[in-house]
Amino acid sequence: MAGGAPVAVEVERGAGLERGLAWLVATDHKKTAAKIAVVSLFFFLLSGLLALTMRAELAQPGLQFVSDHTYDELFSMHGSGMIYLFLTPAALALGLYLVPLQIGASQIAAPRLALFGFWIYLIGGVSMYSGFLTDNGAGSATWTATIPLSDSAGTPGVGMDLWVIGVGLATLGSLLIAITILFTILRLRAPAMTMLRMPVFSWTMLATTFTVVAAFPVLIGAMCLLLAERHIGGIFTGSTGSIAYQHIFWFYGHPVVYVMFFPFVGAVGETVATFARKRFFGYRALVVSLLFFTALSMAVWGHHMFITGAVKNQYYALTSTMLAIPAGIEYLDLIGTMIGGALVFRAPMLFALGFILQFLIGGLTGIIVASPPLDYHVNGSYFIVAHFHYTLFAGSLFGLLAGLHYWFPKATGAMLRERLAKASFWVLVLGANLTFFPMFFLGYEGMPRRVADYEPRFGDLNLLSTIGAGVIAVGILMVLGNMVLSVRRRIPAGNDPWGAQTLEWWTTSPPPLRNFTSLPPIRSYAPLQDLREAGEEREERAEVAA
Amino acid sequence: MSAAPRERSAPRGGGGPLVAWACLQLALGAMLAIWGEEVTALLFLGGALPLLVVAAWNHRWPPSGRPRLLSRVSVPVVLLALGAGIGAIGFTGGLWLGLIGAEIAIFAAVWLAREIVLEQRAARRSAVAPPTAVAR
Repeated sequence: MAGGAPVAVEVERGAGLERGLAWLVATDHKKTAAKIAVVSLFFFLLSGLLALTMRAELAQPGLQFVSDHTYDELFSMHGSGMIYLFLTPAALALGLYLVPLQIGASQIAAPRLALFGFWIYLIGGVSMYSGFLTDNGAGSATWTATIPLSDSAGTPGVGMDLWVIGVGLATLGSLLIAITILFTILRLRAPAMTMLRMPVFSWTMLATTFTVVAAFPVLIGAMCLLLAERHIGGIFTGSTGSIAYQHIFWFYGHPVVYVMFFPFVGAVGETVATFARKRFFGYRALVVSLLFFTALSMAVWGHHMFITGAVKNQYYALTSTMLAIPAGIEYLDLIGTMIGGALVFRAPMLFALGFILQFLIGGLTGIIVASPPLDYHVNGSYFIVAHFHYTLFAGSLFGLLAGLHYWFPKATGAMLRERLAKASFWVLVLGANLTFFPMFFLGYEGMPRRVADYEPRFGDLNLLSTIGAGVIAVGILMVLGNMVLSVRRRIPAGNDPWGAQTLEWWTTSPPPLRNFTSLPPIRSYAPLQDLREAGEEREERAEVAA
Repeated sequence: MSAAPRERSAPRGGGGPLVAWACLQLALGAMLAIWGEEVTALLFLGGALPLLVVAAWNHRWPPSGRPRLLSRVSVPVVLLALGAGIGAIGFTGGLWLGLIGAEIAIFAAVWLAREIVLEQRAARRSAVAPPTAVAR
């Protein structure tokens, strides 16, 4: 096996500064990823607080806490914060940290660009939330900013402008970070690390960057046009203006769902393979399905517009339903990996199983909304809210937590407290299902989304949902508490506490500045498993010889 | 006795998945155009272009495998982002804010250029050994 990946020449200028303000201006990919993770966590907590306020308002019929307009701000900023400022950047942060480690690179491509991306994203987030300090409040035209709701007449004031600029900046930041990951995979893999020797997670990140590079510039363009529409006008006007905006927005808006999904499928795949003590089942099928999945995910945006009557329903229904094929392959691979394995139910594995089971509910209800006649019935109702929260919260967030619990020892060098982690898993499972499952019934019975008040007959199920939201908050606090406790009272993790398979577990925990001082032979996507098996084979031969 | 194959110091290929993905996009876009949504199909087909450009660029200029230049910290990058962000907010905050942002961005860009030049000079004077492989 060949030696190392292209090696960085470390310039010592600024080394003194690194010890002081270092963290904020450091270009090392691990530090940039950590900065993104911390900031996205902050926005997650902020957006989560907005959700709790919304659920408090919705606990019973009648207005109790907030006005209609404030409620509009709350759900708009909650959705925007979670999508633009939390899940998308968190997914990319995971990739930024792990991809170079998994492919044997000493650094990322264009580390300055990633640092620039982080700061632009942060400024975007601050801009979006600073709308709350303005006279008319923050952006309140939903997370999609649909025209004419978001034009200067529909949502007047500086707050909405700040939202539009903030979304543009945050998306630009995410785009730049994704570009660095893409180029790292293309150009900085260790010499023996061919494309078909990349770990599952790195493949999912590659697929994610395809989607980002193709779709995110469209949203940045849309935000520029929306800003011009609000100040100059004449862009999204007339009977076709709204439809044109929707086309442009959803061209980004649907693929972004997969940006918040693929990395977590990869994280879950790695977790399942490690805790099944088995190689990943159907690796090549997964790679092909990922490419097909991402390409197809770009072709389904029109299903968000079935009710407009302005799209070819047949095409979008066909492509949307076809998504079940690659999704099915990925599920088959995950289940196939577990079958026959020596399953170990540590906390990361529990979160991975939570992802697999709960995302299934979100995915299957996705088939319902992919069908135009059924979509006509549930569109704009709480059924949709339940569907995408099962994909994004009960699915993606559980995938993120699986990855977090799995790679936390690598990033910090400390083990998380297992009992507390398992307890937080069960609390979160209870909270997620208590919150979002009743919404299917609410939506099916006709409760519209985005309303601060509702008919009294929906009161009981809404109360259940609100209790569930409180349980989720407790679960999240338990996860955060566990992380703080584990870092402060460290149980050393060692290089490879799980007996994992991929390259990142070869190096120290946390990894050094250049990631590796040496590399093992790379003959497959699981080099550590190769070493283990070779060692076992040698032992067996020695026993036979003895 | 034949000579041992020369070790490559840089990864080869990697553009295949990009081209495959872009082709899938083109097929799906063509399908949409045939179905009668020509304008939106154009938007869709445009999505494949950036990746085709990246694939072509990667093919034309493959990674050299030479040591790369890296700075541990970069203050001007952060200033550049601040300038760009403040400048963008100037679209709603007023011309004065836009101008302040532009000034910060220009100052940071000059500083960044100087930082890169100094780094390149320093890098020429230093040499770092690559990580070594573990013996089988």
